[in-house]
Amino acid sequence: MNIKAFALFKKDFHSELRTRYAVNALIMFIIVAISVILFSIGNEKISQSLTGGLLWVVIFFSAMSGLSRAFVSEEERGTTMTLQLIASPSTVFSGKLLFNLILVFVMNIVIALLYSAMFDAFVIKNFLLFLVTFLLGNIGLAISSTIIAAIIAKAGSKGTLYPVLSFPILLPLILLLVHLTLNSLDGTSFDQSLFELAMVACYDVIMLSASYMLFDFVWKD
Amino acid sequence: MAWKIFLFLLLSFVSVAGIAFPIVENPTHWYEFPLIKGLEQNAKIIFFHVPTAWLTVVAFLMSTIFSIRYLARKNLNDDAKSYAAAQLGIIFCILATITGAVWAKFAWGSYWSWDPRQTSIFALLLIYGAWFALRSSIESEEKRATLSAVYSIIAFLTVPFFIFIMPRIMKGLHPGSADDTNAGPIVNFKMNGNMQLIFFLSLTAFTILYFWMWNLGYKSLIFKDKINKIYTKG
Amino acid sequence: MESLYQFLQNNAIYIVMIIVLIVWTGIFFYLFNLDKRIKNVEKEFKNSKDWQ
Repeated sequence: MNIKAFALFKKDFHSELRTRYAVNALIMFIIVAISVILFSIGNEKISQSLTGGLLWVVIFFSAMSGLSRAFVSEEERGTTMTLQLIASPSTVFSGKLLFNLILVFVMNIVIALLYSAMFDAFVIKNFLLFLVTFLLGNIGLAISSTIIAAIIAKAGSKGTLYPVLSFPILLPLILLLVHLTLNSLDGTSFDQSLFELAMVACYDVIMLSASYMLFDFVWKD
Repeated sequence: MAWKIFLFLLLSFVSVAGIAFPIVENPTHWYEFPLIKGLEQNAKIIFFHVPTAWLTVVAFLMSTIFSIRYLARKNLNDDAKSYAAAQLGIIFCILATITGAVWAKFAWGSYWSWDPRQTSIFALLLIYGAWFALRSSIESEEKRATLSAVYSIIAFLTVPFFIFIMPRIMKGLHPGSADDTNAGPIVNFKMNGNMQLIFFLSLTAFTILYFWMWNLGYKSLIFKDKINKIYTKG
Repeated sequence: MESLYQFLQNNAIYIVMIIVLIVWTGIFFYLFNLDKRIKNVEKEFKNSKDWQ
């Protein structure tokens, strides 16, 4: 099962490398989003907590713009049925999840780097905390986005429906991550944030198990 | 038959008691309520705000339970029951948000202050809205039922976080939050005997009303479907 | 007119209560009516079994 999932991931990965549809649009979206924020702020100095929150705004909307491709592209190219034939539902989900995980990590590293370059207030004091938050948070983001992408791939009006469906599901995660990011900017110790890190880990585990169990129902026609 | 009349009288009594019974310093008669510090004259909203909030969670729970039943048995009647519950749920959610905002204006000074519990009722509103948006974008009946069932289950996983965990660990204004020393008028039983009675009667009356409306709702949906199918079959 | 206004102002809470009771009675009779009609539809479905 794992080899097949990895093969599916490699197929998506190579097709992306060849055409670069998703990656280009995503990079441009990130640049546009950060530029819009910079323009709207103008010469005003924004506080550290505001910068921390805005980081996750950019991450959320970039995720909404880029992560639905995993399933929607299959529907658009008409390859869904082939995929249903050659692999079991959990294998397909593993492959797509792996692809979205890599995409989320690459995308968020770019966003974080651009962000720290553009905003002076964004200085991370507790780097270990930020790293762990980044790791756990991106995993949660990828898992939830993938299962919601699977749901909307079969619905109409996919583009507008995707953020509408994802936001309530991601809201607990975003609230926790914003709080943790603010902690890492402030320099709060790692031990004080352990409770919230544990909750992010819980969210990841719950969403992962639920997604695997429910994907069967979404995928079968 | 009899229970409907009982419900009518019960909810009428609750309205009369909840609105018109006076709040005095030292209650002497059975129809007077005690003065609770911090709430004073506004305490009467509790008889209507808490039941609507309670019902919106009950409705969501029922909607998810029938979604799970639909996924197990593929019977479209379960989908109709889930839909009827969600319709009532979103109505009660809107009512809970509005009554909460009105109470907030009196108690905390502004209609909305992003208090954790206010944020969570708003998140619940978003979940309901997203669920209806998803349903309206799918044509095929079975696909609509399946996908909205899956979304309902995923969304329900976030509800315990919003309703139970977040408001209690984060600092906030709503009773029962992390820095609230008196834990609210219910848990601490600052309400005296007859106030508690009216409160629980109100909860019971609204719950019976909800189940009645839900019953009528899902039956209308099922019969409308059946009649449509008969007339289109020719 | 002045005393009527004063009367209404002093007893405002009771006016609210009466309005709430009227609204609730209206809702109740609507639901009761709906219940009766659905019972009739159910009976028709059960009787003419060729529709089942």
